[in-house]
Amino acid sequence: MSTGAGASDLLHAEDSGLDEIVRGDQAVAARSPLQLFWRRFRRDRVAMAALVFIVVLILVAAFAGPVSRLLGAPDPNAQSTEALDDFGLPSGPSSDHLFGVDTIGRDVFARVLYGAQVSLAVAFIGTGLSVFFGVILGLIAGFYRSWIDTIIARSLDIMLAFPVLLLGLGLATACSGADGCAGGLLQPGLPIVIFIIVLANTPYVARIIRGQVLSLREKEFVEASRSLGAGNFRIMFRDILPNLVAPIIVYATLFIPANILLEAALSFLGVGVQPPRASWGKMLSDAISIFNDAWWFMMFPGLALLLTVLAFNLVGDGLQDALNPKGTKSR
Amino acid sequence: MRRSVQWTLILGVLLALSFGVAACGGDDDSDSGEQGTTAGTPAEGKKGGKLTALWAGDTDNIDPGITYYQMGTQIIRATQATLYSPKIDDAAVNEPQLAESDPQVAEDGCTVTVKIKEGWKFSPPVDRVVTTKDIKYAIERGFFSNVNNGYAGPYFGGLDGAKVGADPGTKIPGIETPDDTTIVFNLKPAEGQDKCAGGILAQALVMPLAAPVPEEYASKFDKGTNSTYGQNQVSTGPYMIENDTAGKAIGYEAGRRIHLVRNPNWDESLDNRPAYVDEIEVQQGNDDATVMARKILEGQSLITGDQPPPPAILKRALTDQKDQIALVPGGSGRWISLNTTVKPFDDLNVRKAVSAGMDRDALRLTRGGEAIGDIATHYLPPGLAGYEEAGAAEGFGLDFMANPKGDKALMAEYFKKAGFSSGKYEGSEKLLMVGDNEGVGAKTAEVAAEQLRGMGFNIELRQVTHDAMYNKFCNRPPSNTAICPNVGWIKDFSDPQTYLDPTFNGENIIQTNNVNWPELDVPEINQAMNDAKLLTDPAERAEAWAEIDRMVSEQAPTVNWIWDKDVSLQSSNVLGVIDEANGIWDWAHTSLK
Amino acid sequence: MAAYIVRRLAWVIVLLFVITLITFTIFTVLPAADPAALRAGRQPSPELIESIRQQFGLDDPKPIQFLRYIQDILPFDNDGVNFGFSFQSNTEVLPQILDRLPATIFLTAGAVILWLCIAIPIGTISAVRTGSLLDRVTMGLALIAISAPVYFLGLVALFLFDEDIGRFPLLPGSGAYQDADGFFGKAGALIMPWCVLAAAFAAIYARFLRGNLIDTMQEDYIRTARAKGLSERTVILRHGVRSAITPIITLLGLDIGILLGGAILTETVFNIQGIGRFAYDAIVRFDLPVIQGTVLFGAFFIVMMSLIVDILYAFIDPRVRY
Repeated sequence: MSTGAGASDLLHAEDSGLDEIVRGDQAVAARSPLQLFWRRFRRDRVAMAALVFIVVLILVAAFAGPVSRLLGAPDPNAQSTEALDDFGLPSGPSSDHLFGVDTIGRDVFARVLYGAQVSLAVAFIGTGLSVFFGVILGLIAGFYRSWIDTIIARSLDIMLAFPVLLLGLGLATACSGADGCAGGLLQPGLPIVIFIIVLANTPYVARIIRGQVLSLREKEFVEASRSLGAGNFRIMFRDILPNLVAPIIVYATLFIPANILLEAALSFLGVGVQPPRASWGKMLSDAISIFNDAWWFMMFPGLALLLTVLAFNLVGDGLQDALNPKGTKSR
Repeated sequence: MRRSVQWTLILGVLLALSFGVAACGGDDDSDSGEQGTTAGTPAEGKKGGKLTALWAGDTDNIDPGITYYQMGTQIIRATQATLYSPKIDDAAVNEPQLAESDPQVAEDGCTVTVKIKEGWKFSPPVDRVVTTKDIKYAIERGFFSNVNNGYAGPYFGGLDGAKVGADPGTKIPGIETPDDTTIVFNLKPAEGQDKCAGGILAQALVMPLAAPVPEEYASKFDKGTNSTYGQNQVSTGPYMIENDTAGKAIGYEAGRRIHLVRNPNWDESLDNRPAYVDEIEVQQGNDDATVMARKILEGQSLITGDQPPPPAILKRALTDQKDQIALVPGGSGRWISLNTTVKPFDDLNVRKAVSAGMDRDALRLTRGGEAIGDIATHYLPPGLAGYEEAGAAEGFGLDFMANPKGDKALMAEYFKKAGFSSGKYEGSEKLLMVGDNEGVGAKTAEVAAEQLRGMGFNIELRQVTHDAMYNKFCNRPPSNTAICPNVGWIKDFSDPQTYLDPTFNGENIIQTNNVNWPELDVPEINQAMNDAKLLTDPAERAEAWAEIDRMVSEQAPTVNWIWDKDVSLQSSNVLGVIDEANGIWDWAHTSLK
Repeated sequence: MAAYIVRRLAWVIVLLFVITLITFTIFTVLPAADPAALRAGRQPSPELIESIRQQFGLDDPKPIQFLRYIQDILPFDNDGVNFGFSFQSNTEVLPQILDRLPATIFLTAGAVILWLCIAIPIGTISAVRTGSLLDRVTMGLALIAISAPVYFLGLVALFLFDEDIGRFPLLPGSGAYQDADGFFGKAGALIMPWCVLAAAFAAIYARFLRGNLIDTMQEDYIRTARAKGLSERTVILRHGVRSAITPIITLLGLDIGILLGGAILTETVFNIQGIGRFAYDAIVRFDLPVIQGTVLFGAFFIVMMSLIVDILYAFIDPRVRY
């Protein structure tokens, strides 16, 4: 993962109290597990506050145009040479530019607002796709076992042994051609970033899901279903999959912040979204050469990134606590 | 990001090497007087001490027969003797170094004869006197398939029997050495002509390829698929890369350091370089331009190399530490190239409208503002022969290049001439624009893209690594890249042909590695260039190429926005001398206070 | 046990081979640029490009090129193990990687020690005093540390504490590592990178240990230990922490493996010439032999660390059988 911390973050989750619930001890209870989550979750005020923050962020991202106009900010791509001095150095926060301007005279406030679009798009689409592919691979591997499992598990091992950031950088650079790569499917910018995220996350998701399917398939309800004549397909998707919904949601909330950081890291290294689109990671990377003289250009996108990731982490913690009956609360 | 790519390749094409030329002589490099900072005027210096240069990256190649860029040239100017060298304080003038006198170029340009000085010696472990056979071998190996010099073809390819990619050891019959101090270059006439390109060859004898290489020692390294002579080189300059008794250059650690020590066999009385300091060390890996610049300004005995200071430091140095900063014209220019084969840039009026409407001052601000160069009025840059003939700073008085801030009214006028009554571009097709993805280049690209959008163009800006930008897009006509905002050119040496011929001669358009970015192909211009190439008199050449400059400028193939200045920094105890031809510090002339 | 190790080592070799093959495929099938053109200078003729392509062996069939690379990795041909020649500097790749390795190892080692020294006491105390002010404050800070991108933290640290440009000039900053001499000089230059790199890890490990310890303390054998009349301190340290810490080894192995392959972001912000920067530069310049060498090294560390962890487990935990 992006910070190098991701691997442990996820393994951490694997070893938490969550596993026991997930393994099916309570999952087939009469009340929907989702309802249980929500009940417990609502009581966690910090997590609820974080959730509200995320909802607001989603609204800001969706209506970035109207919001920034409402707050009197200029267009995020408008360049103003008046805000630069004779040497092209940017000016700091003022009444015209709330968060100052960047090195080519664009309004940092407006760009921070618009930057939320990229972070959230990547977070949801990237995570969603990783979960989708991870669940399918994990289901198949865990359910069929035998040689299919061997092939999938070994492939996952290989994928996990790759230095992710290096591979991502390489792929993004390689696909920067006029037609992108994979027959034009992978265009530079967001598509390639999302592809790298999926590539990096899928093995983790698949491994976790596989482990759980391995234990679920031995449960009585699976046997019961099979004795009623249900086919493999039906058992996988009608019997086992619903029992994975709760853990999937929790893992997804753990992947989201990691993915936001990964996108920012790729943009930071120059292979992320394409201009003039604003991305927090790209802004930070542009700020590197000038952070000492233009602190605003580093500080605001950095804080936006920090707060967003923090909010997702808090919600993730809240969800885990809500799932954990033993009450070893993370906070 | 500002890192890595800011080493030599960040400017890639732009930061190539540069030299002064024009046949001239004189041994007057020891005059002094002015301060040695903002100009390359040599000052009498104190002997001794160690000079340290802070670089971000490495030289392009340590082998004198391969290196082609600015940093490599800086090393060569200290470690090797080339037949001629650019005058330290006048990039447009060339003087003999290893040669005894000016080159003798035949009227028809088909033979060039050079005499060299007697008694010049190679460094250990070769320790013998240099003969013209060593120069013959040096040029021959440039054509070897395991050396593959980048400019041997364009400037020495006219030699009789020379072939790019020849097997190692292949002789060139066109180079003759009647005795140990005479070398004769025989050229074959250009196709369908009775004249030869000896004029340009004579001037190219300042290039590193013209530094002698001892065959009996080097041939064992020039074997196999990659020559390893660079790591085992011997020198003929005042300094040499520190080596062991076998000749291995232990002072060169790729990507880490280059350590130069005095060459014990160097004879001061023969050379045109004073060589004040005893030792020069290049420290690489100083990726952070700000930190590097601060270290130099506040430290002792330090100088810059491959990385100019960022704008914030530039501002500080120009206000408070003026004697520690040097700004010299770099013999280069930057362009936003408009592909003349892609609609709508096939229309001259559209190109003129774009040039007229572009706020070139805003583009210049992305690099540090007025201090880092003048807004261009034509192509040939200051410090290059032909600049004065082309009207110097005034240029040709073309209206669409007159206003640095952009002239919206004039732009509208040209757009109307092109049939767009609104005074803006009205087409809606997507135009592919490909620029750098980091550093100042990325800023320039974004500013240019935004301005083009303001003119009504539908721009799709794609930012990729510097190498991919050239390799996959700008240098490849089949990619149909409409706009290349980060291109430019630097002279190879002070001959205008090296500036205009590769870049605007329609006959040089190739399908890969093309550097005629606008794909300008105007028969009259091509013809004028082909004629001018065969002139042998430097003054005539300057006149002819200045006229070509006018013809090209009138075609508005690019938005020609700046003539760069090279910015260099030094510590307060350094008496730096700029090699005006190369645009950066010359180690063999710099001293410590 | 021996058979298990042999089997695992065989798998390591297969894994590294496949990774080499995949890396090779990605970068030769989807080249970002033509290495020959990059090397050829600025106005190369087609003949020159062709000659350079032959020099680098780029015209050979892909399988031959791959085989040649494998030969460069293995010590069976006459030019030994060199990982090929860099297209850029024309020098052998392996010495350059080895040259940059110490910086990366030093960075990783210091950060690991630092984060363990922070995480273990904090995790333990938080677990013992669950819900106390200390617990809540440290766990809150931990969550913030996990959420902060390492490069942002790095920039802020430089902005505040860099001895040249910082607002509170305290510590050597960007680029200090390569100027520093001697062990202590180098260590001093790494204080800031260590802190920045260790921040997120310390937070993760503290949270992890805390969670584990809380669970462990509810186990039966802890109750037994208490019943035996051992002091609470002994119970926690001798029994609780000891078993709660075991799973951390897995994490530690993985994280060390990943970091040894190059902490690109930290190395970038602090301008440390380690493996990560080297790999990044190679990708930007499309220096294929260097890219392959660094990816292979990175994968090697990841795979070897996970092997070591598994073997260690066999010794620590007698229940694990093979």
